[in-house]
Amino acid sequence: MTLAAIDATGLTKVYGRLTAVDHVDLKVSAGGVFGLLGPNGAGKTTIIKLLTGLSDITEGSAYVAGFDVRRQPMHAKQRIGWVAAEVILDDDLSAWENLWLQAQLQRISGWTDRARSLLRYFDLDDRRSDRVGGFSTGMRKKLEIALALLHQPEVIFMDEPTIGLDANTRRMLWEMIRGVNREFQVTVLLTSHYIEEADALCDHVAIIDHGRFVAQGTPDELKARVRAEFIELETRPPLAEAELLALPGVQSARSQGSGWLLRVASADETLAAILTRVDPRTIHRVNVERPSLESVFIDLTGSRIDSTAGEVPDYRKFYANLRRAQR
Amino acid sequence: MTPAAAEEAAERRVLGWWGRPGGDWVAQGRQFWGLYARELLKTFRNPWVIVITLVQPFMWLAFFGASFENVPLAELKQLLCGLSNPGCQAAVTSYVQFLLPGVLATSMLSIGMFGAMSTIQDKRFGFMKRILLTPTSRATVYLAKALGAATRGLVQIPVMIAAAYAFGVTISAPAWMWGGWIAGLALLGIGFSALFLAITASSTDWQTPGVIANFITMPLMFASGALFPTANYPSWMQTIAEGNPVTYAALLGRDVVVYHTFSAVDLGYLALFAAAILLIGTIVASRYLKAE
Ligand SMILES: Nc1ncnc2c1ncn2[C@@H]1O[C@H](COP(=O)(O)OP(=O)(O)OP(=O)(O)O)[C@@H](O)[C@H]1O
Ligand SMILES: [Mg+2]
Repeated sequence: MTLAAIDATGLTKVYGRLTAVDHVDLKVSAGGVFGLLGPNGAGKTTIIKLLTGLSDITEGSAYVAGFDVRRQPMHAKQRIGWVAAEVILDDDLSAWENLWLQAQLQRISGWTDRARSLLRYFDLDDRRSDRVGGFSTGMRKKLEIALALLHQPEVIFMDEPTIGLDANTRRMLWEMIRGVNREFQVTVLLTSHYIEEADALCDHVAIIDHGRFVAQGTPDELKARVRAEFIELETRPPLAEAELLALPGVQSARSQGSGWLLRVASADETLAAILTRVDPRTIHRVNVERPSLESVFIDLTGSRIDSTAGEVPDYRKFYANLRRAQR
Repeated sequence: MTPAAAEEAAERRVLGWWGRPGGDWVAQGRQFWGLYARELLKTFRNPWVIVITLVQPFMWLAFFGASFENVPLAELKQLLCGLSNPGCQAAVTSYVQFLLPGVLATSMLSIGMFGAMSTIQDKRFGFMKRILLTPTSRATVYLAKALGAATRGLVQIPVMIAAAYAFGVTISAPAWMWGGWIAGLALLGIGFSALFLAITASSTDWQTPGVIANFITMPLMFASGALFPTANYPSWMQTIAEGNPVTYAALLGRDVVVYHTFSAVDLGYLALFAAAILLIGTIVASRYLKAE
């Protein structure tokens, strides 16, 4: 029996005048790692809140682990785990007390053996009586995943699991998420705005922008969909569209900020032509986007998921949350 | 057994006899106990809470008791009892003795504020999300918070009584009367912490509990018989005092401490107050308790 772990139809959330999630159809088959990839404010967190029953669904239906989130929220909640973007633990309690509380809230019996083996799995067994307030960021994240796994859920939701972590910890966490998915046979739904993360970690990716799915598929399928490459070009003074379209291999030109986004057959070929025909001193910025999930997003929306401009407030938000959480 | 029936039976085992999460009292009891124990652990791990709990009652009695120290006893008796009350005049031995029940009753007023603040802290740090993403009902969260806050407040009672003893108050009433009085204080504390939590159920602002505390505490403290005899009040304040549960807890205590008598009616009123607020609060919280 391969029941869908998550099955949502026409899922919609309206906040006042803003439609944060707009008629999304989401089917996640059991056993895989599913990624929601999108820029800040796309609606990723909102989707998780709707699927976990934390936020009321405005319109549409959602089944998680076979239960209607609206009609049988308690049944669904017994079968899901949740890992927050900002790491939410009780700092005044020890690791073991956090696990104890989770077991009481999930009302599971015989949890101590599982708790012990989870602590061992995450290398936390020698710190189990220590207050969580003194844990490092990586340890806190691991404990949070252990909490999410304690009651043997069928689905785990992870909101931006690696946000704010350094490259090494992030890679370690990717390994861990894949390991958890395999060894505990739990379906993982994660959100991310890191292209490499979705590419490296997910079996299946849905790309989301302004509350809508713009594409869905395996990372390879999505990449194969975009045959073209992209060049972002900014010159001072700006070039005219006709000049750009006259360059060899250019399929289309789209204005992007104060520059242009060129869809080209081969970036190398066009780039060579640009360097000979355009005065290099006028080139302010040039960037080549090879086939990747980023270029899929660029192709579909004309903007970037992983804009550096987006990173700054994002990190600030993350650290603000972290400080709040650690107080 | 058909597969569907087998699955249902398995479901029953997981979810309890009623086959419905939330329908099983034992399971809800575990959730309640987990949250309640967390409240107490967090509180009493904080050394400041312990210090303040121990020191505050002494300060209250020391400052308040000292404020009438230079009044001759005969005048104090007239002030507290009125001229036409020889029974009272005979029983009152000091202002601290008169004051103790009132101070304990008013101290129950402020404990709701701590419960409300810890709830808002849980919302702001996201812990409320962690709780509500498990099959725990909002009503359970509410009850655990309300009773957790009340329990924290109750710790003050034995400390305060010990302090009063140190200030020369005699404990000559029978033990069951003392027990009944302490039960009355507990009911008052539960009622007020339940009231606070219900009012702040949908709030996420740090300032709300303080504002509400000022709004509720002042009038209920002064428009009661807790600190002064109500006979000296204007009639409108006497009217408030007559419905004010703080008055009932203060009078219940004064009967025990000063006169060695017991009023079951006062205790009944406090029980009614606590039960009514808990019931209304549970209904309010299961609708309006916010996750963040
Ligand atoms: N409680 C709320 N009230 C009003 N608007 C909200 C609320 N929560 C989210 N939104 C809005 O809904 C939109 C989607 O937000 P959401 O948090 O789901 O984005 P996200 O994809 O998770 O972004 P990020 O990568 O920054 O976490 C945003 O425009 C946001 O402002
Ligand atoms: Mg988000």
